[in-house]
Amino acid sequence: MATLKAIRRRIASVKSTQQITRAMKLVAAARLRRAQEALLNARPYHEAFKRVSDSLLGSAPDALKPPEDAGNVRLLVVVTSDRGLCGGYNTNVIRMAEETMREATAAGREVRLFAIGRKGFDHFRRIRANVVGDRVNNSPRLATVALARDVAARMLTDFRSGTVAEAGVIYASFRSALSQRPTYEQLLPVAPPPASAGVSAAPATDYLIEPSAAELVPVVMRGYVEAAIFHALLEAEASEYGAKMTAMESATNNAVDMIARLTLEMNRARQAQITRELMEIVGGAEALRG
Amino acid sequence: MADTFQFRLVTPTGVLFDGAVEQVTAVGPLGEFGVLPLHTNFITSIAPGVVTLKLGEANFNEYLLAGGLAEVKDGVMTILALEAEAPGAVDSIAAAPVVLEAEQRLAHMSEFDPAYADAVQALALARARAQINQLRRAPH
Repeated sequence: MATLKAIRRRIASVKSTQQITRAMKLVAAARLRRAQEALLNARPYHEAFKRVSDSLLGSAPDALKPPEDAGNVRLLVVVTSDRGLCGGYNTNVIRMAEETMREATAAGREVRLFAIGRKGFDHFRRIRANVVGDRVNNSPRLATVALARDVAARMLTDFRSGTVAEAGVIYASFRSALSQRPTYEQLLPVAPPPASAGVSAAPATDYLIEPSAAELVPVVMRGYVEAAIFHALLEAEASEYGAKMTAMESATNNAVDMIARLTLEMNRARQAQITRELMEIVGGAEALRG
Repeated sequence: MADTFQFRLVTPTGVLFDGAVEQVTAVGPLGEFGVLPLHTNFITSIAPGVVTLKLGEANFNEYLLAGGLAEVKDGVMTILALEAEAPGAVDSIAAAPVVLEAEQRLAHMSEFDPAYADAVQALALARARAQINQLRRAPH
């Protein structure tokens, strides 16, 4: 049995761990609230953009196709976190990415990765995947317009030059603090709006387009990709903090349980020690009397 | 005739303006344009610059946009901008060195560089920031 002193030391150490995990949980909760708010604020932009791009891109299907001589490469942007301690969040995203990679390879495509977040970057470098770019240490915030713009610009440049034929983003989509679902979203080539194929298609609005559709389509396409990536980053950010909050909460609960168990053990050890001392005193008295 | 129409300024960080306006003036690829009530359905891109909303007599509202899209549909105008800021929040003094930097970068760039268009945009935005006070027309 562990000595009383060792158990006391152990309890003190678990207590300080518990303090840390509790503080981390509170921080994650505050950031999650902020991230959720940002996600909500971005919604009108996405909805409005989707409406405009659907009505405009629907009229120019040719512009959506990759160049004729496009290679056979699929570019995957994988969004993970920079830091750990968030449960299975990164593992799940990475597993999804690897599945998508396998699928693409089976379909005869070459896969290139663009890693956002240190965890994913480190992992893919370790398994020697073809990582063509990365953005790590995205603190204090992951979901910034500047980052989305940067990634989108790169994606579109590769797509227009024919280097990549397909591009998509993998991120954890936020459902609740307890549940984040890894998601693959294909961005390029832009899928034609469903309205153009459906029977119940709404009549396309007749727009006056300035300067011309040909000049506006690249602008809209770029905005569309930027908006989609920004949205993915927002989802990923909210998911990360949700996962972290949940992980830290269960860590705190574990610490509470462990402290209760150790306290019990400590009391038992103390009692055993007292009993032993009493026995010694009684034994000593008996010896003197005898 | 309708005196006002609905206007929305939407950015990824939220809806900055949603309400009735008399007139909207913005900068498009072909120059400045204005939108009045009963405008036809219309889509254009927006160059970096100032958008002015006329809310009433001598009552203006302005935003600095980093470019975006404008749409008029069924009498409702929507501007989608990646970034927008109120002119009061713009630091025009800090923008001056950025203009120089952007100019220099552009000077060393080929027109065929994929980043050329971005550099032009960045320069236009920096210029708009630096000259924000000249571009504004509202009394301030």
